Amino acid sequence: MDRERALRAVLADVTAACGPSLRVLAGAAERRAYETDALTAHRVLPGLVLLPDNREQVAAIVRACLAQGVPYVARGAGTGLSGGALPAESGVVIGLARLNRILEVDPDRRIAIVEPGVTNQAISAAAGEFDLYYAPDPSSQVVCTIGGNVAENSGGAHCLKYGFTSHHVLAVEAVLPDGSVAVLGSDDIEAPCYDAPGYDLRGVFVGAEGTCGVATRIAVRLLRTPEVVRTLVADFPDVASAGDTVSAVIAAGIVPAAIEMMDNLAIRACEDAVHAGYDRQAAASLIIELDGPGQECAELFDEVSALCSAHGCTRLRIAADAAERAAIWAGRKAAFAAMGRLSPEFLLQDGVVPRTRLAEALTGIARLAADAGLRVANVFHAGDGNLHPLVLYRAADGEEPDAERLAADIAELCVALGGSLSGEHGIGVDKACSMPKMFSPADLAAMDRLRAAFDPSGLCNPGKVFPTPALCGEARAGAYQPHPLEETGKIQRW
Amino acid sequence: MVGPSSSGPTPGDALPGGASGSADGAASASSASSASPTFAPSASTSSASASALPGPRSITPTTVKDLRDAVTAGTVLIRGTGTATTWGAPVRDPRTTVSLTGMDRILDHRPADMTVYVQGGIRLDVLQAELARHGQWLPYDPARSEATVGGLLATGDAGPRRLGYGSLRELVIGATMVFPDGAIAKSGGHVIKNVAGYDLAKLCHGSLGTLGVVAELVLRVHPLPQTSRTVMVRDVDTAAAQRLTWALTRSATEPTAIEWCEPEQVLAVRFDGTSAGAAARAAAARTLLSGSLAELDHEESESFWFSHAARVIAEPGDTVLRAATRPGVDPALVRALAAWAEQAGVKAMLTCSPATGGYTVRVTGGDAKAHAELVKNWRASVEAVGGFVMLRRRRPGVDAMVESWGRAPGAVEVMRRVKGNFDPENRFAPGRFAPWF
Repeated sequence: MDRERALRAVLADVTAACGPSLRVLAGAAERRAYETDALTAHRVLPGLVLLPDNREQVAAIVRACLAQGVPYVARGAGTGLSGGALPAESGVVIGLARLNRILEVDPDRRIAIVEPGVTNQAISAAAGEFDLYYAPDPSSQVVCTIGGNVAENSGGAHCLKYGFTSHHVLAVEAVLPDGSVAVLGSDDIEAPCYDAPGYDLRGVFVGAEGTCGVATRIAVRLLRTPEVVRTLVADFPDVASAGDTVSAVIAAGIVPAAIEMMDNLAIRACEDAVHAGYDRQAAASLIIELDGPGQECAELFDEVSALCSAHGCTRLRIAADAAERAAIWAGRKAAFAAMGRLSPEFLLQDGVVPRTRLAEALTGIARLAADAGLRVANVFHAGDGNLHPLVLYRAADGEEPDAERLAADIAELCVALGGSLSGEHGIGVDKACSMPKMFSPADLAAMDRLRAAFDPSGLCNPGKVFPTPALCGEARAGAYQPHPLEETGKIQRW
Repeated sequence: MVGPSSSGPTPGDALPGGASGSADGAASASSASSASPTFAPSASTSSASASALPGPRSITPTTVKDLRDAVTAGTVLIRGTGTATTWGAPVRDPRTTVSLTGMDRILDHRPADMTVYVQGGIRLDVLQAELARHGQWLPYDPARSEATVGGLLATGDAGPRRLGYGSLRELVIGATMVFPDGAIAKSGGHVIKNVAGYDLAKLCHGSLGTLGVVAELVLRVHPLPQTSRTVMVRDVDTAAAQRLTWALTRSATEPTAIEWCEPEQVLAVRFDGTSAGAAARAAAARTLLSGSLAELDHEESESFWFSHAARVIAEPGDTVLRAATRPGVDPALVRALAAWAEQAGVKAMLTCSPATGGYTVRVTGGDAKAHAELVKNWRASVEAVGGFVMLRRRRPGVDAMVESWGRAPGAVEVMRRVKGNFDPENRFAPGRFAPWF
């Protein structure tokens, strides 16, 4: 077969160029470990897995793939939720876990320069001695890598106030799909500057889901660790009152670090699983966190507490210390794992609606769920309207097709309400087929033209973001299956 | 408003010599008239300024569709209020100047969602005034407050508060663009959290009108801070500017702007927040800073920063350079600037944003040759430390002696391919990025 011959040629090229320090995984069992990311319903066995140790090896791999016409995908920790790191059929996986060096932390300039395989949390750990941290905090931050965060433009619970990966990346050194190495956003990755001239290619690269090249070094901004963090949980007799409270906080000109909402189904599941002290009777709960300089944080926290009370809050619990705050967040972040108590299987969505249309979205989701005869638990980032509905079902009862349809309907409902298919998980293969609901053919054609400027050969992570007949002609994929790290409790899903 | 064909497409000081391109101009004029019958109607429906004569024309569309019809043939110069027409290299022979000033409306402001949907031609100061009525603002303070929002995105401009709030690229959450082939495409949307699809608006950031027209934008707005205070330190030399900046960035005082001016040797540090909070942080900063200190309250602060902005707005005949380097005040660069200015016999006024590595230099006095010498020499100094120097304005005659852009960034090949894919005929602002592409 042509592809097999091409893969052999790639292997010969890269071993000649890189020598023995390039790790090669060619056996089927070894490759099997790379057939999926955290969107475990999609599995494609790669033809070859290569684990380079440095930038030159990454470049050699990309050039070999280009010469042989073999598609490739870069992979960090494999925690992505939209199938962004799913291999191409018989393609090459470039695993970047070994490029895991923190090259520099500059406390004066508040900049760190790191390799792509460094975990999100390791950056903050390294910056911690200077009272600095890296702000975007996806829930998988213990293991997910900054390279993957760059690809997906990852967010997290605190991005309402602090923004996404894109806001915190100054420059990216990347192996481009033509095999060249270029720095995007600066001239020298070791001397990153804020406002380099020309098109903002760094801004395009961040969030392109790995389709514009492979990052090899990344310069990130660091922020000062907030002087004070205050967290409360407020229970409400109905979802509408909780939603009104969120509106009131925003209207008061307050930008909390995070505002999370859970509905009753989610609250019960979390409380049963973690005993974080939530009220099982509450129709809805808000977790509101403020951070910043001590004085301002104290003033605004009092204001937020008063707003909760004014909007019918039935119980207000203020974290007394860091331990209680951690318990509140542990409960919130356990929601996903806790769903196992309610249902053997579930699907997760990631749609966004304008915040003021949250109530409509929830009503719409409830109606769709009732029509489908399925239950949906809701956990979401209320401050920015990013929903994470969990569609519960039993595969054994044949509910899977209905659940898949319901999940897609919910994502498309978000678009119909003026929102987006995805707030932080990415499109990947998961939502590529829904893209035409959000973007016109002209929109997609313009994006594709940009993609072609980076990757004329179309070999760099093909089949992602954009709808393709091969992908969208097939039936949607099956149920969520837990990532091994989720089963051990090491990472969460949002 | 833009005067009807009063000025031609670009101010005189941006053009190397008006007559030199007449052959090209005629060629593009004839191709435009044969290829684009929609030109005449769109010009007649616009509010102003179409020239009936062959040669350069100016069109002020009021709808996206008219805008599209205006840009699909011939060379095109996109213009807002005309505050940055000299940024970058001079555009060669624009056949059609398209003014966005007819697309200056707020389409939808949703205070509770903290978003505002505007046409690209709205002036920033007009938008800010409307947002302020709702206790909101766009946390963005470029010196050119009368510029259009679309133009500010295209120029990639930012002001002192870039340190605290980021630049416009961080605030644009959705955009509708018109590309040279007439495609009307959007990316992003109306929600502040959104990762669906490529972010085409980022592509337009800094594009100087060479890729497409930003017809509409959705912006994330923020609540207005209750107050703003400014701490001023006098007699701050280069070394002290560096030292005090790092003292601030290592502290928890969280200034939203740090600016240093030379030759005045003043360091100005701005704090935004609640009344008590901003005061507390300004007080904390004063303990870190040494020298001759003063603190400005909200009103004084506003007035100081207004006059500070004027430093980087130059008069015709001045040359203005903008350098981007790694953060810091590099003593070698400041020394080099003074030395080269003295050698050339010109005056160089520096406005520096030390925490983000931005330098704006206004050159006055001396002739074009002296200005060009300064640009050439100081650019070499900046490039030696990995930075960039571009021209925002120049004394007439300078273009013949020095390029508007220096060493190309490593990713210039991708920029060329992007340009080629979106504007294969090189019709949008041709020459703007010369000599890069």
